[in-house]
Amino acid sequence: MKSLRASGVNNRRHRSPLALPLLVAQTSRQLNPMDCRQITIDAIKPQRRSYLLRLGLRGPLALHSHHPPIQCRHHQRHAPLLRAKRRGHQITMPALSSTMKEGRVVSWLKSEGDAIEAGEAIMVVESDKADMDVEAFEDGFLAKILTGEGESAEVGAVVALVASSEEDIAAVADGGGASAPAAAPVVEAAAPAAASAAVAQPEFDFSKLDMPALSSTMKEGKVVSWLKSEGDKVEAGEAIMVVESDKADMDVEAFEDGYVAAIITGEGETALVGTPVALIAANEADIPALKAYAATLGGAPAAASPVAAAPAATAAPAKAAPKVAAAPSAAASAGGRVVASPLAKKMAQEMGVDISTVAGTGPGGRITAADIQNAAAGGGAAPAKKAAAPSKPKWTPAPGVIAATPTARALAKKAKIDLSSIQGTGEFGRVTVDDVKMATGEKKPARGLLPLVFRHQSRCLKDLSPSLECNEPFPTTWWLRLTVLCSVPAEIEMDAFNELYQSVKSKGVTVSALLAKAVAKAIEKHPIINSSFREEGTYFNKDINIAMAVAIEGGLITPVLKYANERDVLDLGENWKGALSPDEYNSGTFVISNMGMFGVSQFDAILPKGMGGILAVAGTQEYIVPCKKAVLGMKKISKMTVTLTCDHRQIYGADAAMFLKTLNDVMMNPSSLMK
Amino acid sequence: MATTMRFFIATLLLAPTSAFSPSITTTPRSPTLLDASKCGNYDYDVIIVGCGVGGHGAALHSRAQDLSTAVFSGRDVGGTCVNRGCVPSKALLAASGRVREMQNEEHLSEFGITVEGGAQSVKFDREGVANHAKQLANRVKGNLEGSLVALGVDIVEGKGILTGKAHEVKDDASGKVYTAKDIILAPGSIPFVPPGVTVDEKTVYTSDGALELQSIPEWVAIIGSGYIGLEFSDVYTALGSEVTFIEALPNIMPTFDREIAKMAERLLIRDRPIDYRTGVFASEVTPGIPGEKPVTIKMIDAKTKEHVETLEVDAAMVATGRVPNTKDMGLEDAGIETQRGFIAVNEKMQVLTKHDGGEVVPGLWCIGDANGKMMLAHAASAQGISAIENICGREHVVNHDAIPAACFTHPEIAMVGPTEEQAIERAAKEGWTLGKSQGNFRANSKALAELEGNGIAKVLYNKDNGKVVAVHIIGLHAADLIQECANAVAAGTTVQELSMMVHTHPTLCEVLDEAFKGAVGMSAH
Repeated sequence: MKSLRASGVNNRRHRSPLALPLLVAQTSRQLNPMDCRQITIDAIKPQRRSYLLRLGLRGPLALHSHHPPIQCRHHQRHAPLLRAKRRGHQITMPALSSTMKEGRVVSWLKSEGDAIEAGEAIMVVESDKADMDVEAFEDGFLAKILTGEGESAEVGAVVALVASSEEDIAAVADGGGASAPAAAPVVEAAAPAAASAAVAQPEFDFSKLDMPALSSTMKEGKVVSWLKSEGDKVEAGEAIMVVESDKADMDVEAFEDGYVAAIITGEGETALVGTPVALIAANEADIPALKAYAATLGGAPAAASPVAAAPAATAAPAKAAPKVAAAPSAAASAGGRVVASPLAKKMAQEMGVDISTVAGTGPGGRITAADIQNAAAGGGAAPAKKAAAPSKPKWTPAPGVIAATPTARALAKKAKIDLSSIQGTGEFGRVTVDDVKMATGEKKPARGLLPLVFRHQSRCLKDLSPSLECNEPFPTTWWLRLTVLCSVPAEIEMDAFNELYQSVKSKGVTVSALLAKAVAKAIEKHPIINSSFREEGTYFNKDINIAMAVAIEGGLITPVLKYANERDVLDLGENWKGALSPDEYNSGTFVISNMGMFGVSQFDAILPKGMGGILAVAGTQEYIVPCKKAVLGMKKISKMTVTLTCDHRQIYGADAAMFLKTLNDVMMNPSSLMK
Repeated sequence: MATTMRFFIATLLLAPTSAFSPSITTTPRSPTLLDASKCGNYDYDVIIVGCGVGGHGAALHSRAQDLSTAVFSGRDVGGTCVNRGCVPSKALLAASGRVREMQNEEHLSEFGITVEGGAQSVKFDREGVANHAKQLANRVKGNLEGSLVALGVDIVEGKGILTGKAHEVKDDASGKVYTAKDIILAPGSIPFVPPGVTVDEKTVYTSDGALELQSIPEWVAIIGSGYIGLEFSDVYTALGSEVTFIEALPNIMPTFDREIAKMAERLLIRDRPIDYRTGVFASEVTPGIPGEKPVTIKMIDAKTKEHVETLEVDAAMVATGRVPNTKDMGLEDAGIETQRGFIAVNEKMQVLTKHDGGEVVPGLWCIGDANGKMMLAHAASAQGISAIENICGREHVVNHDAIPAACFTHPEIAMVGPTEEQAIERAAKEGWTLGKSQGNFRANSKALAELEGNGIAKVLYNKDNGKVVAVHIIGLHAADLIQECANAVAAGTTVQELSMMVHTHPTLCEVLDEAFKGAVGMSAH
C-alpha cells in the first residue's frame, strides 16, 4: 500500500482514526479499481473532491478494490480502533454512483435483532443506476432500522444502527450506540426438385404452380396462406401465396397472368418441392374443368386415370381404424375412390382415421388435413381430461423433516411462527406459504375451507378467554353463536344522500332504489360481501343482485333488484310492476332490510340461508355536532344506523367494517349513484 | 398444351436459380459411396461419429470443402442440444416466461396493462407447453437432417464404434465396417448422476426427463446450480413451483463470475420462491410415487460428510453436470485412454493416446463435449469446423476465450472470456494490468421502456493494450448482446476502437457502449 500526500488538506491535523471507506465502482478511471491502496483526498478528481468534502470526508481514505456488490467495509487497519470505543456502529446510505444523491431502501435482508456478519448482504438499495446489495462491514446485531423498506435516505445519512453485541441491542436502538460518527461510505461510480412424372393433362391452356425451393436445403414447404382464392385473377408479379420453408416465410409471386383455378395444397398443408400446389387457368372459362382435373391430382393411388401421384401420396391404404368420423360422404363418392391431399392421407394413417369415412371439404370434395383433424377430434375418443385432482395423500414426514415449502419456511421465520403449529394443506400435508399467511392473518383462512376456519376460530376463542381449553368440546349452540355470524353496526351520515334524494324524487326515484344502488356500488369494491358459503369453498357471486326484504302480511318477501350496481337508479325504481316472477325474488345475492320508516333506531337482521350478508337499515336520526364553519359553532346532521350481519365462515368482521366504510363514503358522495 | 408455370420469389435470400425451376430436377450432387474415387482406398474422406450440433457443424464444413462425408447418427440426429437440451429448454423458457410476465400484475400495471381477473386468470396447459418443446425439437431435428441430406452427407443410422484398426468405424446396428481417411469423434455427453441418486425420470430426473415437463411439482429440489439448474428454476417458478437448490460448492452458481452470480442471486433467486443449501451433497435421493410418497433427499455436509437435513419434495432434478458419452465406442481397442471418460485432444482437436504426454493418433479427431474443453453446442461446432480445416491442411486453433455462453433465464446471463476472478489471476501471472468498466441497464432507455432496468454489463480489458479480455452481462436479452463482445475478443478489438464505434439508439447495445466508453474515460450519457 502506498500513501499519497495531500496538498490541500492538512493531513496531520485532520488525520482521523476513522478509515473512510471509499468504494470505487467499476467505471472509475481516475483511480485504478484493481488497486487497493490508501490515498488522500487530492488524488481525486476536483469535482469528486468537493463532493467528498461536502460530505465532510477528509483525511486518509481507504480505497478498496471493489468486490461487488458494494461493501461498506472499514479498512482493516483502522477498524480495531473504532471497535474499542463503541458499543455499536451505524449503517449509512452508501453512494452507489457518482450522481446518486439519495437512495431508496428496496428491502432489508435482515430484521432488527438479527446477527450480521461482515460481508453479508444486509439491504438492497436502489440508485439511479442499479439496485445493489449493501453488505455489512463489521459483525454485529442489527439494532434498529431507521429507514424502512421503500423509504429513501440521503447519501451518508444513517439508515440503521448496529450493536456490537446482543446485549447492546436495546441500548444502541435507544440511541446510546455509536459514539463515533460512522464513516459515510462513498462510492465512485464507480430440393432438389422432385418433378412428378408425366401427367395426362386437359387439352386447354393452363399452368401449374409448383412448390418452389426457397433454400438449397428445402425439401418440402408449407403453404402458410393463400393470398388468392380459387376463381381470383392473378397478374404476373403478384404475390399469390406465402410459403414457409426451413429458413423463412416467403411470398411467392405469379409469373404469368391467369386465374387461380384450383388450390391443391390448402393452407397449413405441406407439399414436396416441385409438386404442384395450385393450377392456374389462362381463361376464366376453363376453371371448372381444371378444378375437376385438380381433384384427380390430389391423390388417388390406384386411380383409373394415368395420374402420377405426388411422392407423399404413396401412402398405404388407410388402416381400418377405430376412430371414425361422423358422416361419410362426398369424398368417397367418386366410385369409392378416395380423393384426399397427400398430407391428409399421411395424417389419416398416423391418427388412425379411416379416410373413406371422412367428408371432404376441399375443392371437388377433396379431403384436406383439416377434415382429418376434425374427424379425429370429433369421432374419436379425445383423450379424456384427467379426473378431478385426487385428494391430498396422507403422509407422515420422516423424523426431522420440515414439511414446508421454501417460501413457507422463509415467511414463518420472518413472522416468528413455529411451523409445527401450522397444519399444512400442500402436497403430502406440507405447509405452504398460504398456510403461513393464514396463521399470520395476512390471508383469510381459506375462504370457505371449513376445517381451517374452525381451527382459526378456535384459536380466536382461546385468545379471547384464556381460561377456555381449546381441546374441550364447545356446546354446539354457543359455538354457532360465536362463530357463524358476525354482526357489525355502523353509523352513516345521510345529509348528502337525503339532499340527492330530494332533488331526484320528482323523477320517480325511490329511497329503496337509491339505497340498493349505493349498497351495490359498495359491494363492487368488496366482492367477499357478495359471496355465499358452500361446503366446497366460498362462492363469489358474479352479479350483484340486491334483495329488498319487504314485510308482507304473515311473512316476508324479498324482491330482487338484479345487477343493481350496473343499472340506472330510475330503471331500478321501475323494477317491480305487476306480479314477481320467481327469479325476481330468488336471485338475490345480498339483502337489505329497511325498517327506517318505522323509526327503529337499530336492529339486527337474520341472515337468510344462502346469503353472505344482510344489511339492517334503521331510521335516520338528527344530531347536533360541533362545526367550526357554522355560525353557532355547531351544525345539525342526520345519521342512520345500519347493521351488517354476515356469514362469519367466509366473511370477517374486518371485511364487514371495510365494506361499511365504503358504503358510508358512497352515501356521503352520492352523485355517482345517478350516473 | 400446358406449360409449366414459373414464379419469382419475393425475397433475395436465395440459392441457385436451378432450385426454382422445376424443369431442372436436381441440384448437383456430391460424390457418394459409389463414386468416392478421390478418397483413394477409403469409403469416405471424413466419417463423423455423432450427429449432434458438433457433428453437424463438422459435416457441413466438410461438404463445403468438397470432402465426401458420412455421419453416424446413433439413432439420435440432433443430439443432446436439439433433442434434450438447449433447443427444447428454450421452448419451455419462452412459454413459462410469458406466463411469468402475464402474472406479474405489478409490472404490467406500470405499463398501464391489467389482466382481467388478475394473475390467477392467466392459465396455461402443462401438456401444451410440453408439446411446444417437443415440436420445436422435432422441427429443428428435421431441419438439421434435411440440411445434411441436401448437402449430400450420408447418414448411417447406427452408432459408430472404432474397430481398433486405423481409419475404420463399425456400424453397431448392421455390423458393417466403413473406412475413412479421417474420423471425427463427436459422441457428446450424458447427464451425470452422482452416486446415491436413483433416477426414475419421473419424480427424480435429469434434464432429459425434466424437458418432458411431466408434472408441475409443488416443490422441486434442483441438485446443482449451474446453467441447466438455473434455467429450470426459471421455468418451474414461472409455472408455480417452489424450488430448493442443493449446491455442493460453498457458493451458489459457482461457475459464474462472482459479481454476476450475486446479482443473479438477487434477480433470479431471492425474489422468487426459491431457497438453497450450499456446501452440501445430496447423498441419497429416493424417487417417490406421485400422490403416495414424496421424493426423499438426504443431505450431508460436503466437508464433514455428516447428515445435515432431509427434504421430502415432490420432485428432484439432477443437474450436476454432464459426463462424456464415450463408453463402448472402442476407444480401448484403439489404444486411447480416457480420463473420467474425456478423450484427450491437442489444440488442433487431434486425439491423443492419453491426457498427459499422449501421442497423436493419426487420422482421429475428437470434438465437442467428449473432449471436455468447453461443453457447449456452438463450441462443438466451432471445434468441428476447426478439425476439418486441419484435415484440409490449413492449421487452425479454436480460441475458446472468444466463445460466448449464455444462460436463458429471465433476465438472461451471458459471458465471453474468463470470470473476473480468473482474469485477475491471469493478469497477475502474465504481468499485465486488468481494467474494468461497467454499463448499466438502469441507465438504458430501451431497458427502461421495457421496465427491465435490472442488470449490468461489465467489460474486463487489458489496460496495456486495450484489448477486451472478457465481458459478463446480466440483464434483458444478454444472450443476444454478448455477440459483439465475443467478436471483439476474437478479433482483438480494443476498448479504444469499440468506444468509437456507433451503437444504435435506443437499443440495449448501448449498455455495452456505456461500458466501452467508460473504459477510455468517455461518458455515454
